Amino acid sequence: MATATPTDSMSRVWSMSSLKSSLPSAVTCRLPSPSSRRPVLVSSPSPRLPSFSGLSPVNPLISTGLPGWQSFEDGFKIIDGGGRVYAMRHGRRVPKLNRPPDQRKALLRGLTTQLLKHGRIKTTRARASAMRKFVDKMITLAKDGSLHKRRQALGYIYEKQIVHALFAEVPDRYGERNGGYTRIIRTLPRRGDNAPMAYIELV
Amino acid sequence: MSVNNRDPLVVGGVIGDVLERFTRSIDLRVTYGQREVTNGLDIRPSQIINKPRVEIGGEDLRNFYTLVMVDPDVPSPSNPHLREYLHWLVTDIPATTGTNFGNEIVSYESPRPTSGIHRLVLVLFRQLGRQTVYEPGWRPQFNTREFAALYNLSLPVAAVYFNCQRDNGCGGRRT
Repeated sequence: MATATPTDSMSRVWSMSSLKSSLPSAVTCRLPSPSSRRPVLVSSPSPRLPSFSGLSPVNPLISTGLPGWQSFEDGFKIIDGGGRVYAMRHGRRVPKLNRPPDQRKALLRGLTTQLLKHGRIKTTRARASAMRKFVDKMITLAKDGSLHKRRQALGYIYEKQIVHALFAEVPDRYGERNGGYTRIIRTLPRRGDNAPMAYIELV
Repeated sequence: MSVNNRDPLVVGGVIGDVLERFTRSIDLRVTYGQREVTNGLDIRPSQIINKPRVEIGGEDLRNFYTLVMVDPDVPSPSNPHLREYLHWLVTDIPATTGTNFGNEIVSYESPRPTSGIHRLVLVLFRQLGRQTVYEPGWRPQFNTREFAALYNLSLPVAAVYFNCQRDNGCGGRRT
């Protein structure tokens, strides 16, 4: 490799002509600011790429320089169909089940009717944990047993045979139990859409 | 190992409805066709028409075991007044073998649940000697605890359960 000597020994600065002569002729490149470094074949410095961190949620502690960090929740978005999943449940009182209110009420009425009819049903985990409240409510109405409560139950449950059977057997079956008339057992996800499933049964 | 509170048999209510708490000491492998039965598995009646292949563990061929298959949710889980229908009873199974080597005193009847999701429990007991267990008079209203007490079978040595519901949906709504 040909070496280049500083032409001006006083200033210790390489001059372009001597450098260009020392480098192989095929390469034309812009050297960085003149310094007393030894001229080596260096390409133009490319901008630093952020390292590929995969599809994991962005960790605020590891600074990868990715933009878009506006708030605390930005780091916890998980790639899915648009539903947001956070680590906390602050202020969430009612499970909405992805439905407008009338459909939601109808869904829960249907589910509690089926649970009281069959004793054990298999459904998604969100629906199972949402319906607990209403099943307990129906059993509490049956425990009371008066005509008014019976009519309230008839207004909620779709099949009247089930209401009459419920009012007949609940005092024996749940007379001593205070609340917690259901049990949820989680099970394998559904094949079609990988929805987490659960059995809910009357205790 | 003894069953703790997170054991599937406790969570599924089998211990409590059918059995007492016990300590597992023998391996029990039940296979319907290609599927091995694990606790809480969901199987359709069309897959359990024929009896399963059961293999038990243990070491000593001189120990004999009894296998009982019951359904505690008859006729419906919401109203199980015929509690425990006996589907299958095989006695005198030597250790390390399977039900083919035992004495099938109540033949296998394939479960056909009409309403709801039924649990089907397979329990293995250890016999004190050969030919000490006799068949009960009838299949419904079977009580596993009394059966074990009657024939001195003590606590179970293994158990597994699975779920079964009817093939064609719930049968429609009847007002």
